[in-house]
Amino acid sequence: MTDSKYFTTTKKGEIFELKSELNSDKKEKKREAVKKVIASMTVGKDVSALFPDVVNCMQTDNLELKKLVYLYLMNYAKSQPDMAIMAVNTFVKDCEDTNPLIRALAVRTMGCIRVDKITEYLCEPLRKCLKDEDPYVRKTAAVCVAKLYDINAQLVEDQGFLDQLKDLLSDSNPMVVANAVAALSEINEASVSGSPLVEMNAQTINKLLTALNECTEWGQVFILDSLSNYSPKDEREAQSICERITPRLAHANAAVVLSAVKVLMKFMEMLPSESDFVPTLTKKLAPPLVTLLSSEPEVQYVALRNINLIVQKRPDILKHEMKVFFVKYNDPIYVKLEKLDIMIRLASQANIAQVLSELKEYATEVDVDFVRKAVRAIGRCAIKVEQSAERCVSTLLDLIHTKVNYVVQEAIVVIKDIFRKYPNKYESIISTLCENLDTLDEPEARASMIWIIGEYAERIDNADELLESFLEGFHDENTQVQLQLLTAIVKLFLKRPTDTQELVQQVLSLATQDSDNPDLRDRGFIYWRLLSTDPGAAKEVVLADKPLISEETDLLEPTLLDELICHISSLASVYHKPPSAFVEGRAGLRKSLPARSGSAEGVHETNANVAQVIPSQESLIGDLLSMDINAPAAAQPGQPAASQPVDLLGLDSLLGGVGDTSSTAVTAQSTTGLLGDIFGLGNAQPAAYVSPKTIWLSAERGKGCEIAGTFCRKAGQISMELTVTNRAMTPMTGFAVQLNKNSFGLTPARPLQVVSPLPPTVSHECSLPLSTTGAVQRMEPLTNLQVAVKNNIDVFYFACLVPMHVFFTEDGQMDKRVFLATWKEIPAQNEVNYTLTNVQGNADTIVQKMQQNNVFTIAKRNVEGQDMLYQSVKLTNGIWVLNELKIQPGNPNITLSLKSRAVDIAAGMFQSYDLILHS
Amino acid sequence: MGGLFSYFRNLLGSREMRILILGLDGAGKTTILYRLQVGEVVTTIPTIGFNVEQVTYKNLKFQVWDLGGQTSIRPYWRCYYANTDAIIYVVDSADKDRIGISKDELYYMLKEEELQGAILVVLANKQDMEGCMTVAEVHQALGLDALKNRTFQIFKTSAVKGDGLDPAMDWLSNALQNRK
Repeated sequence: MTDSKYFTTTKKGEIFELKSELNSDKKEKKREAVKKVIASMTVGKDVSALFPDVVNCMQTDNLELKKLVYLYLMNYAKSQPDMAIMAVNTFVKDCEDTNPLIRALAVRTMGCIRVDKITEYLCEPLRKCLKDEDPYVRKTAAVCVAKLYDINAQLVEDQGFLDQLKDLLSDSNPMVVANAVAALSEINEASVSGSPLVEMNAQTINKLLTALNECTEWGQVFILDSLSNYSPKDEREAQSICERITPRLAHANAAVVLSAVKVLMKFMEMLPSESDFVPTLTKKLAPPLVTLLSSEPEVQYVALRNINLIVQKRPDILKHEMKVFFVKYNDPIYVKLEKLDIMIRLASQANIAQVLSELKEYATEVDVDFVRKAVRAIGRCAIKVEQSAERCVSTLLDLIHTKVNYVVQEAIVVIKDIFRKYPNKYESIISTLCENLDTLDEPEARASMIWIIGEYAERIDNADELLESFLEGFHDENTQVQLQLLTAIVKLFLKRPTDTQELVQQVLSLATQDSDNPDLRDRGFIYWRLLSTDPGAAKEVVLADKPLISEETDLLEPTLLDELICHISSLASVYHKPPSAFVEGRAGLRKSLPARSGSAEGVHETNANVAQVIPSQESLIGDLLSMDINAPAAAQPGQPAASQPVDLLGLDSLLGGVGDTSSTAVTAQSTTGLLGDIFGLGNAQPAAYVSPKTIWLSAERGKGCEIAGTFCRKAGQISMELTVTNRAMTPMTGFAVQLNKNSFGLTPARPLQVVSPLPPTVSHECSLPLSTTGAVQRMEPLTNLQVAVKNNIDVFYFACLVPMHVFFTEDGQMDKRVFLATWKEIPAQNEVNYTLTNVQGNADTIVQKMQQNNVFTIAKRNVEGQDMLYQSVKLTNGIWVLNELKIQPGNPNITLSLKSRAVDIAAGMFQSYDLILHS
Repeated sequence: MGGLFSYFRNLLGSREMRILILGLDGAGKTTILYRLQVGEVVTTIPTIGFNVEQVTYKNLKFQVWDLGGQTSIRPYWRCYYANTDAIIYVVDSADKDRIGISKDELYYMLKEEELQGAILVVLANKQDMEGCMTVAEVHQALGLDALKNRTFQIFKTSAVKGDGLDPAMDWLSNALQNRK
């Protein structure tokens, strides 16, 4: 005996019992059996094996039994597609039954049986039912057409059901009209071509509007929804439709109200804004929306999500209804959060006081999520309503003083945005923020705080310490914080290059070498590259002016908003996502608001309403790409100031009120050209003072590359004298140099020429001629110059001071009268005094020494035993400096009075005098 | 004793006889069904599926199943064989081309175990048509001579005119009653 016996059961089982009961002669028993089958089906047992037996019970005059069998069919026809054919004849018969209920039931079930093989047999009965004398049957048949379209669109089109459906739009029964409309809308949406298969015309619209008042609430929803898809041919038609559906706003059913709102919102786009009708309509729209908020929370939520859209599109509608959006203590959290959102959108100067006091109260509630959002809301109000900013900030400060951890963190996050919106206004609170540094444990708050520190590094004395403290646990930080920390330190470095070099190198190496996060690594490399290639460009990129954030930060993108307005009262309006985003397999046609047929002015108005959204930090990449980082110097001769609004300020003072600030370098050169003949540019000044070389880059920091250097002026050209020493064990190659943008536009006139390779322990002297045609950026101190030297090992940065006298041009001799006039012209506050101590020699030696350095003595007078020297100096950037020296014989101290339109140069000037006279 | 017998008779009589009407498509099955039930000719369309009706003939109640005869439906006939008392097999006498198919279908069906006890009535229908086969020819073509262990009879009918149905039903009623 084989083991197969285990698989053949002698037990007949439940299915077998049911089968015999279904085939029973007794109607009662049969009915009971079918009920048992349905019961099994609903609890999930597979009773599809009984298909033929159940289908055989189909032809009965018992309505209950018939319904049950239909139910079974709908469920199992798909799993038994071949057998389903046995049911067709019964459907055909039932569609001709005398009882309209049975006819309707049959046609409805037919639509639900999604079996290709039998659909063709169902067309005839369906055609008959569409013309049935009973409205209930016609209505059901109309819906069935839509279902059939989903199964087999071609069949529906071929069989002419669409035309029949269209005929039903003029049916005498409003219920039939409503369902025909619903079916047509569904078919249009599902249409493969994407374009509606059945276009409405003015006549059918008229019929729909007539039916609208008579049909059930759900019928009204169908009609309104399809009206919203209609494009009226002109303003008049749009207005008349609006007028006719306005009464629907008073309906008790929320769906009807929202659908009516949708149509009105859509058609209002077409109406000229200057007509009286729009304001009237706007007034009428508010009360129904407010009423929706008195229903149960779930409906409220849907209403609020829709109102959120409406408020973004047309803030006017609800501008006076702020109070209804105030949060009630017993609102569910999802309603509370949504209400808060709308409150902010509605906040205006008129109601800000009220809103703020509400928000402040919310911020003390217990629900953490809600409190956070409330705090954020205060910040958003500050950004939105400029007049309230101060109050908002002080409210936020109050909240920070509560020291409630999450409140503080949330407040710091929003304050960051407030700083963006109102730069240079509330920075006084930074110190308060810094006090809370240690309590911040959430990434967003930490990142925000770091951003603030980086952004205002120049105002926070211990910014470097603060940032350094974050740096300790760099690897444990969230990516957001790491990125922010990197940026902040780079900002700090660009602002205070002298003492933060270590820090920036540390963070760059942390980000690029020790991190496995590609975002962080890449950003690190970009900064590194930027700083090494062209610190000037780096400054331009990293410290670029950020566009102000205006209005709100979380508005929907306008085209999406318009699309969502077309989907009011649907799931899309609750999700705030277009249907294509969450409905599978339905590309459909995307809805959009109708274009205004009136003047173009309306369009502009809408555009003007669109708030600017903060561009994400990533968008900066675009700028990086357009910058040529490989160029030896990113400077564009002749137009240094054009792209740099910040620099203009610095330049202004440098130029001492010279009106044309467009190009200092050009001015300087042209003047040189004019005066060159008189003084003879060829006159070399061999005795010009050259300070001794100092070590700029120690071998330690330069990884074995030591650089010492100084500046001198030779034959009218500034040059950088360098001694490069290789203190490493390996030869060095590929030397290159770059200068950051600086106050005088110094830039290498030719590439650095260092012997390559430079063997170990060998020093090389070289001279790098510099021109002053580079990009200009005011440095602090003015003579600061940031240098980057590259070799095969690394890129090194150092800063050095350029003695000012190398900028003194050879054409600096001023005519006596011009000197006198200029001296008088320059106001007294532009005069700076300085005492040169311990100067050897008399007036004549001073004149000579200064002359060698392009300081020209215009006149010499003896007044009351004192020698008065009047000297003029012209800087490469065209600034004239006039000096008066009082020399008392026997007194080694000389009083120097300096007058210039740009007194900023004074310090450098005095230093140069000191250097030259003590040489 | 006689009272007791009639009691049983009544019991038996109240039980519905299950009868299947089978045959190729277009043979006239549905027309015959409604001819039997309402006594009239109804306009019919091809039966995709089945019809089931109660027919009372001479105090006997029949539950008559008329199954569609199209090729696609024939495989499902078997679902209806269980508990069948009699089969009315309808042949289109004018359709000489397909009489062979009709014969095959008949024999496939009769081989079924569930139908071993069923009485067979063959109706050579459409006798009103010009040039149709006679009863004998149909008898011949179906090879009924070869049938063994089967209570059967063949009748010539015209469902449209109503001819020949009564004799067939009379015979069937008797046969069913005698079987008990």
